[in-house]
Formats: sequence, structure tokens, C-alpha cells
Amino acid sequence: MKGLGTLKRCAVLAISCTLLAGCWDRKEMDDIALVMASAIDQLGDGQIELSLQIALPTGIPGTLQTGGKGQKPVLVVAVKGKNAHELIGQAQQQLSRKLFFGHRGVIIFGEEYARRGITEVLDTLLRFPDSRYNSFFLTARGASAKEILTTPYHLELIPAIGMKIMQNSQYTVGVKIDRFLDHLAADGTMPYSGAIRIVKDAQGEPTFQIDQVAVYRENKLAGYLSGKSLQAFKMIKGMGKGMKLTAEVEPKGPETQGTITADVLSVRSKIRAFYVKGTPSFDLTVNVDSRGLANDSTLDISKTPNLLRAEKALTDELNERLTDLLTLTQREFKSDVVGFGRELHIEHPKAWKKLKKRWTDLYPEVPVRVRARVHLERIGRTQAPGHLELPE
Amino acid sequence: MKVTGLQVFWMIFTMEVGMTLVMTLTPGVQAAKQDLWISLLLAGCMTLGITALVTNVAQLYPGQDLIRFSQAILGKWIGGIVVIVYLVQWYTILPIVLRQFTDAIQIMILPLTPKTAIMLIMILLICYATYAGGIVSIARCSEVLGPVVILMIVLVLAASVNNVDAKNLLPVYADTGAMKIFKGSLPSASYLGHSVEYMMLAAFLYQPASGKRYAYWAAAAAAFTVLIAMTMTLMTIGVNLSPKLWYPFFEMSRKISVLGFVENLDPLTVITWVTSVFVKLAIYLFITAYGTAEFLGIKNWRNLVWWIAPVIIGFALIPQNISQATANYLLNYWVPIALPVNMIGLPLLLLVVGKIKNRGSQASG
Repeated sequence: MKGLGTLKRCAVLAISCTLLAGCWDRKEMDDIALVMASAIDQLGDGQIELSLQIALPTGIPGTLQTGGKGQKPVLVVAVKGKNAHELIGQAQQQLSRKLFFGHRGVIIFGEEYARRGITEVLDTLLRFPDSRYNSFFLTARGASAKEILTTPYHLELIPAIGMKIMQNSQYTVGVKIDRFLDHLAADGTMPYSGAIRIVKDAQGEPTFQIDQVAVYRENKLAGYLSGKSLQAFKMIKGMGKGMKLTAEVEPKGPETQGTITADVLSVRSKIRAFYVKGTPSFDLTVNVDSRGLANDSTLDISKTPNLLRAEKALTDELNERLTDLLTLTQREFKSDVVGFGRELHIEHPKAWKKLKKRWTDLYPEVPVRVRARVHLERIGRTQAPGHLELPE
Repeated sequence: MKVTGLQVFWMIFTMEVGMTLVMTLTPGVQAAKQDLWISLLLAGCMTLGITALVTNVAQLYPGQDLIRFSQAILGKWIGGIVVIVYLVQWYTILPIVLRQFTDAIQIMILPLTPKTAIMLIMILLICYATYAGGIVSIARCSEVLGPVVILMIVLVLAASVNNVDAKNLLPVYADTGAMKIFKGSLPSASYLGHSVEYMMLAAFLYQPASGKRYAYWAAAAAAFTVLIAMTMTLMTIGVNLSPKLWYPFFEMSRKISVLGFVENLDPLTVITWVTSVFVKLAIYLFITAYGTAEFLGIKNWRNLVWWIAPVIIGFALIPQNISQATANYLLNYWVPIALPVNMIGLPLLLLVVGKIKNRGSQASG
């Protein structure tokens, strides 16, 4: 600092000290309330309820304390009002610490709220400097979102963290905020999210389970996929790894069910779009590599003809599931949740320009040819079922 | 005050890369949608073109800067007007960049801190850097900070690879067409076109002849980095959401989640950006102070720094909101005026007239 006098030096030092301390936006751990999950419900009288699951600092045991006995680790705050944007401010009035949304892992919509349309909250989620797009979207089924937030979960200290870990795993369909918004904004595909519901555990205690998918039509909930249609959906979306596929290969016998179960090793799904004489149509191909997991039939699938028969049975089963899923989304939900429109856009951009506006109405009627193929790559450690007598 | 070729490389690179990445992605996507990468290739070519122009101009009068050789080529009056056109560019870009910096910091990390506090910190820093060592200290800063910027960008991109979906870039060309792609390339081209400042920097080179190579490399490296980073962002965030966000590159870094525990990396990108803004502002403050002093015949350019700084803060407080500061300046002055006139038209004029003059003087001599 050649050329600066002592006075100037002191001035620079003083200014730096006051400015660089950054006290305007300081957030100390002692001053913030960590929101782990939030939930939005529609109430009967047209009001909206916002519930926030907040981690309690005293409930989280340190390294010396062990076990979560004693205090509950979370606090659920609920506020009601007409305007979703003002609810956060209302919730703040109940709390001595500043709400902090940076660690929010899940956002849950109540079923009724989702059916009425969810646009109102979406803008807040995007605009809010605190909110990160790494939170998962969940739709509640058969319960209000608030009930789900108040449901205890014992494997993790904080229930919301349990939900987040479940959503991160391959067993559930997890959709993060930005993906959801992207699907909502895109032409030619509809948004979907994981669906969470309350079940009873062995002791009869309520706990939550994420085993379904909520399908939206535009911004409104259209319905849920579960069981076989959900399996088909995951196959198409390339999330099928680890799934089990069971098919009947022969009539039920005295000792056997006549079924074969395969464990899915990898799935390749592809959608081809065609545009002929002004009408769009699609080919949906799903190729599955699998390994035999259980053989509850009298067939010895180490023999080639029997193996082919098993493959065919599995293929037919998958075909049926895919067709059922498409019927469900086309007839009942009327929602292009698979994203056929997007493929049409990519393969026939010119035709898409004409169809774009009408796509939501066109989708229920478009023909889709389903071509599934299940390949049994290996059949496990046994050849013929070990417990059965070999046919003479 | 002398700098090396490598320092010029880092100065131009650092100045261009961060600002372009953060400020021009949204307007680019709004015009060119998923074909932004074609726009960026085009923008890269334009940048190289601009660099070719300015390096050739600078070579006509080695060791002299824009203020001197503009008047030497075009005469006192016309040359003077050309200099004023550039001074307008410099005096307006300084407050705007400062304001954009403040807005981004406020939107992304410090929503409650007053604007003036953020501005004051930055202004004090650049004034100190400029006053203490002039171009030499700025050059040394960018030599250190430039690689940090690259490292941060590479880190963020590497951590984002698992979020990428290449389908977001399809269909190619069908949705946009040549005009929209061209339109989408302009914001980025106008920001990458900051290599025009080489006309001022070249005068400080130890070996003016070798500077050309470094300027080309800087422009190419910046354009390439921007191309890769923006294409990644587009593939991550998608064409539906990116045009609606102010800073899609920051948002991409907010999405990063590796192995479940490497999360919330947005401070990295903010560091990158602050670094780039610092280098850019410092360079502009230096050339503005130095240029003004030379133009008006003031002996000590350093004193001007303390006069220009308050002016910058004053101007930076004028825009009422972020749209005015970011979008209006870019779309109403920088793209339609600064890009064709300051970056292409005037350097071309200087080059053509300068060449003719040189040939004339050689023939008569």
C-alpha cells in the first residue's frame, strides 16, 4: 500500500472489518429451524394447510447420548390460510427460530390438494432463494399430507430423512422438484411423482410406505399406478432393474403353482414414433434381460424347448402388463405420462408443430404397438426343480 | 508496467468465461432453445473473428494503445470520436457489471444484505488492485485466479455428469432455424467479444509481437469452456426450465448430488463467478482510468481511480430492478450497439485505414 497514509490505512481497515463480517445474512445454527419436510393440504372450506416438519436440535442425540429415547426428534407445525405464499410467514410466527429450507428433503402434496391443481405452490418453490431443487416431490394417497408428516418412523431419527433415503433408492420412483417442473412445462409429457401412503406395521403401529406413483394430467392429479401397472411403468422408464416378473408356464399342478419368476437384470426400452398420413402411431419396445429366480413348475428349464417356453410365457406376461398400463393412462388418466409426445417431437418435429396444441386430447386415441421380449440369461444354481422327482 | 503474453491469456480468459457463462445463458436459450450449442459454436467463431481484427490492429502500432493509435490512424478529431465511443462502452460496462454482480449475489446467497455494502466491498477491492500495481497486479491476480476458475468449472461439470440427459438437446435444428440460432449466439458473442480490450492491453506486453497468439488462445479457450458448460447446463436443466431461470449455471450446481453426501456445491460456482467479475472489473477500471487520463492529458492516471469509483457506484444504483440491469442493457446497448460498432465496426475501420496509411507512408518514404 505504497502512497497511502496511516489515516487512510486505518480507514480501509475499519471499512473492511465492518463490511466483510457479513452480519446481514448470517445464519447461525442456534438461530435457524431446519425444515426437513413440508406438506400442503386442501381443507374443506377452501383453505390450504401448510405443515412443516422441523428437526428439533435437542431431540438429535449427540455422540455421547445414544438412542432416541426420551424426546421426539421432530416438531410438526401447521398453519391454515387462503394464500399459500403467506403461510410461511404465519408459520414463522409460531417459532422462535428462523425457518431454513436449505435441507428440506421432501415436499408432500395431499391427495385432495393435488386433485385440485398444484400450480399455486410451484412458483414459490422456484423463486425462493432458500429452496433447492434436490427435494423430492411426493403425493399422498388415502391420507392427508399432514398425517404423513406426523407418522412416526423408527429406523431414522427424522422421518423426512427416511423418506428421502427411500426415494433415493431404486425401489421407489423418486421425482425431484426440477424434474417435476420440467415435465410439467414440457410439451408431450406429463409429470408424475412418487406416492406415499400410511400402512400398519406388524405391531399395528402406523408407518409410511412409498410403493406407488401418482400420475398428473397437466397440474392435476389424475390417478395412481401400483402393482403390475407400476412395474410396467418402471420398465418403460428404464428403472426396472431388480424387479421380479412372474408368469404362468403351465396349468397349476398338484404340487406346483405352474409359475416361473425371473429377476430383471437390465431393461432397454425404446419408443419409435411414426407419422403417416396425418396420424401418429408408436412402437414401444421393451427388451429385458433376466435370470431365473424361482421355478414353481414341473418344467426342467435347462432344456432348450422348455427355456423358450418359459421365455415366451414371461414375454406374454410383460406384453400384457405394458398393454394394461397404456390402456390405463390412455382411457382412464388421459395423461401422456410415458412421454410419447416427446418422442414424436424428436422424430417428427414438423408434424409435432401441428399436433402440439391438441396433443393432450389426441393421446387417449393414438395406437401404440407393444413389443416386449424377455430373455432368460441364466437360470440359477439348479436345473430341474430340485425338490421334484425327475420324470422317467 | 509490463505484462507477459501468458498473463494476457489469463486476463482475457478469466474476464470472459465467468460473465458469459452466468449472464448470457438465459437470453441465449430463450432464442435458440436446445440448439444453443450451435449458437455457441457460431459465437466462438465470431469471437475469433473479433480477436483477429483487434490483434491485427494492435500490431500496426506496437507498444501503443487504442487512445494513441486511434488518433494516429484517423487523425485528432475522428480518432478522438472513436476513443469517446470506447469510453462510453467502458464507463457503462463498469456500473452494469457491478450491478449484475450485486444482483446475483443478492439473489443467490445474500438476500438481506444491502446492495451498497456488496458494491462497496467489490469497489474497494478493485480500486486497491488497480491503484497498487496497475495492470501488473491485475495480470498477476488473473494468472493465479484463472486456473482456479477453470478448476472450479471442471469440478462442477464433473460432479454434474450423472444429472445429464442428452435427450434434452433433441430435436436438432427443427424447432428453431437459422435466424433463431443466430439470434441466440449474439448475447454470448457480445460477452466473449471482450477480447476487444486487447487493443488496450497489447501496449503493455513485453513482446508485442507474440501477444497475438495468446489472445487467440484465450478467446478460443473461453469460447470452448462456455460451450461445454452451457451445453451441460442445458442437458441437466432442460430447455423448459432454463429460459425461466436467471442463472441456470448456478442452478445446475445446486442440483449436484454425488454419492448422497457431496451436495450443495453452489458456493463453488459463486466463487468462480466472483473471481471472474473481480478480474473483469479491475481490468475495466484500469483501462478506463488509464485511457481517460491519456485522452485528457492528465499526468497521473492513478488519481483518476478515486474519481471513477464513486461514479461507478452512483451509476450502478440507477437501475430500478434486475431486469433493467441485466436484460435491458444487454439487449438494448450491448448486443445492438457495442457488438457491431465497438467490437467489429471500429476495429475494422482502424485496421483498413491503418493498413492504407502504412502502405502510403512506405511508398512515399
